[in-house]
Amino acid sequence: MDLSAEDLDRFRTRLRFKVCYEVGFACPDVDDIVQESIARFLVAIQNGSIRNTEAAGAFLNGICRNVISEYRRRSLRDEPMPEAVPEPPAKRLSETDLLELREAIAQGLAQLSDRDRRILRAFYLEEKTKEEILKQTGLSDQNFRVVLFRAKEKFRTIYLERTKHPPARRHSGI
Amino acid sequence: MDPMSDSLSHIHLELHGDPVQRDEFIRLYLHRRLAPQLAEEFENHYLGCDQCYTELRATELLIHALGEPVLERQRVNDVTVLRFTATSELLAASLELNELSKAIRTQSDTKVLIDLSKVSRIDSTGLGVLMNCYCHAVKNSGALKLLNPDAPVKKVLQITKIDKIVPTFEDENAAIASFQT
Repeated sequence: MDLSAEDLDRFRTRLRFKVCYEVGFACPDVDDIVQESIARFLVAIQNGSIRNTEAAGAFLNGICRNVISEYRRRSLRDEPMPEAVPEPPAKRLSETDLLELREAIAQGLAQLSDRDRRILRAFYLEEKTKEEILKQTGLSDQNFRVVLFRAKEKFRTIYLERTKHPPARRHSGI
Repeated sequence: MDPMSDSLSHIHLELHGDPVQRDEFIRLYLHRRLAPQLAEEFENHYLGCDQCYTELRATELLIHALGEPVLERQRVNDVTVLRFTATSELLAASLELNELSKAIRTQSDTKVLIDLSKVSRIDSTGLGVLMNCYCHAVKNSGALKLLNPDAPVKKVLQITKIDKIVPTFEDENAAIASFQT
């Protein structure tokens, strides 16, 4: 399996997100975990251990899960047991991300109408189903999809502009 | 086909089919409500998929933006004024209602003025929460008053006679001054 520098960079970025999701954005060892996982991944590629190139992401995820397990075991061994069960890792954006993005996020949000905002909050925060929202608001399925599409389009642009990645091929259907 | 490929194909179909279904899936992942095995399969997938990783991060940003506080707290003299930052509805299960209830019950402020000018609708649950907040304030030797309700909300307050129990004002200065008397 051949891996270009660009491919590797992409894997690293995504893996960093996955590690932050697992151990929290505030964890000081996120980059060490990512680096160790990538190093083992590269060794596996050199040894020809990855047979199915389509499943490279899954293979990297497996390696990363092992690295995180080892990290957790090491942390528990080295540190005294906490008196209280620690809070689960933060599920929000990191503070650095927030500082960089605050203005863009506020602008994106300001472009949404009050009605759209309510619909999106119901879907993404209150975790209502599409059917519940359609029933409550009287929207048609098509209108609901348009609201979602417009909002996602704005925030996709914010994300892509920040990362300077080429735009991803869009899912069809909305 | 090996089990890993089979699992990836399955999740690929789910994520690259209906966009609403995909966003429901991503929403569950971000709220950490996806079953561990599905979360792992999703990670296996997005680590190798440009499109799904972009959608995941865009949804994360959108959820963060939508989760910005809807209530603003301002201190005027010793009175806490609570204002909604955007047009809100105080209806059963709406987040605004939860935030309002939390804002009053978890804080030790005894003099609270709720600005209802951006509240467009209120239902029985919303009225119930307002009355609970009022009782909470009174029990703690405090006071809760309402400011500038919009016409439809004002009408509901009148019909239910809540405006006879919870003092309601049109002018903010007058409302704040009333706490001193």
